[in-house]
Amino acid sequence: MAAADSTFLSIKGPGSINGEAFHKLSALATLALLVGAFAFGNSAFLSVNNGLTLLLQTSVIGLLGIGMTMVIITGGIDLSVGSVLALSGTVAGLLVKAGVPVPVAMTVAVGVGAVCGLINGLVITRMRITPFVATLGMMMIARGTALQLTGAAPISQLGEAFGWLGNGALFRMVEKMPNGLSKVVFPGIPYPAILLLIVAVGAAYLLRRRRLGRHIYAVGSNEEAARLSGVNVERTKIAAYVMSGALAGLAGNVLMSRLVTAQPNEGVMYELDAIASAVIGGASLMGGVGGVSGTMIGAFIIGVLRNGLNMAGVSAFIQQIIIGFVVILAVFIDQLRSRR
Amino acid sequence: MTPLVEMIDIERHFGGVHAVDGVSIDLYPGEVVGVLGHNGAGKSCLMRILSGAMEPSAGKIRIRGEDARLDSPHQARELGIETIYQTLALADHLDAPANLFLGRELRTRWGNLDDRRMLEEARKVLSRLNPNFRNLGDPVSRLSGGQRQVIAIARAIYFDVKVLIMDEPTAALGPAETAMVGELIKQLRQEGIGIFLVSHDLHDVFDLCDRVVIMNRGHKVGSHRIEEVTKDDVLSLIIKGALPDDWRPRNAGAVQ
Repeated sequence: MAAADSTFLSIKGPGSINGEAFHKLSALATLALLVGAFAFGNSAFLSVNNGLTLLLQTSVIGLLGIGMTMVIITGGIDLSVGSVLALSGTVAGLLVKAGVPVPVAMTVAVGVGAVCGLINGLVITRMRITPFVATLGMMMIARGTALQLTGAAPISQLGEAFGWLGNGALFRMVEKMPNGLSKVVFPGIPYPAILLLIVAVGAAYLLRRRRLGRHIYAVGSNEEAARLSGVNVERTKIAAYVMSGALAGLAGNVLMSRLVTAQPNEGVMYELDAIASAVIGGASLMGGVGGVSGTMIGAFIIGVLRNGLNMAGVSAFIQQIIIGFVVILAVFIDQLRSRR
Repeated sequence: MTPLVEMIDIERHFGGVHAVDGVSIDLYPGEVVGVLGHNGAGKSCLMRILSGAMEPSAGKIRIRGEDARLDSPHQARELGIETIYQTLALADHLDAPANLFLGRELRTRWGNLDDRRMLEEARKVLSRLNPNFRNLGDPVSRLSGGQRQVIAIARAIYFDVKVLIMDEPTAALGPAETAMVGELIKQLRQEGIGIFLVSHDLHDVFDLCDRVVIMNRGHKVGSHRIEEVTKDDVLSLIIKGALPDDWRPRNAGAVQ
């Protein structure tokens, strides 16, 4: 039992094949290469501080990417996560502003995300609208709601407690200097990074070791076969969209908490980063293929690219161009492999 | 003896098209019934209704004498009705054990997937069907047509099967594998399992079936014990929807 469970994070699993392992290894090598190149170009890149900043920046995309991965494995797509993130974050901000305790407000925000996901799932399975269109609709609905609720204005002065999740850190060590100032010995592991780790382990466990996870792969691999085998296809799909929505809500909490401001305009185009993470990590938009560890590598590749290019003084516009090329290249390499 | 399956006055319409029009068919334990007809004659439709994959527009189904509702493949499987689909219905990215147990996964006390036990069980049942079966960890998309067929068959017989629907089980197989399927059918019949064999291969049908039911344009046009008809009779039923004009039962003692 314990031995069986200890294997759930390993590469070997249902549907994981040598090819998938190969893709993961090549993605990992790419990541290492990027880190090496940036470190060579700027010694500050490898500093502890920058490492932690990178973790912090990647955690939001990572959370979105994990939810996106589950949806993509079912053969779907969730274009609404960036907007749902904004809606959830602003709901949390509004509730805190209205005097609701921060943990309650953030829990409600995750719930709002889950409800958006549930609506996505129901529209896709009951109304038989394709995932692309259904979640495109939700993308606009959630964004519009966030803007309407706030009058498009950011909600600030949310108090210290609201910033705890996004700015706090574990094992932070501060030394008092004799001159009265304090010196940070170790900035600590940011809470968002810890949250990401917990979610990633939980999602990997779900996908590899639980029946729902097995059904998510089966539905994406061959929906008709899954149905004929007695898999509840609709419920499986809905579960994937609910998880994606809830994780978008969680990511909204993290992002708004980091800014200590609820921004209805945040998260625009984040869904594309999330999709790119999953795809760079080996997920197939045709369904049936993908995994949490791959998506994590994908998220870090994007994170490292952004961070490294920033430090090298490359403009945000050029960054976008480069990441675009990376996505196409990753999928192209994957196709070359599977064509063989 | 109570029939395993009684399908009574089954109808299925698609708009104005009557795919199945008032068909009754039954199946007894240890009996192999061939279901024949052109493409579009309604035989697949009828079988899909029995496997829970399609709802009938009208009609009644009894399983072991009791009225049954077959609203989903899951319900049909609960009643011991297993189907081997012509498309095999395999999830290509999953390995053989995962496909074998799809929808009925074995789990540990904590509700985790018991992949180890599923692998062991899969090895057992697959090697019974094909001693050379390996690659249990590969996604089934990498396996040969014969191996994929073996998985689909194993999935149908591993669980407590009472009624087996085989839709063109040998269409994609070589001679050795076809012989294996034939042996399997004989063995299952010995165990008292009822089998509907949907096939275009008259040789197989005459070799394996106790009875043939022939469909034509949604109607049942014939139901005969295999001894009382020849291949020409059956072909006539399939093509014209009627027996040859000069037909007499070949074996008068076996009629009805």
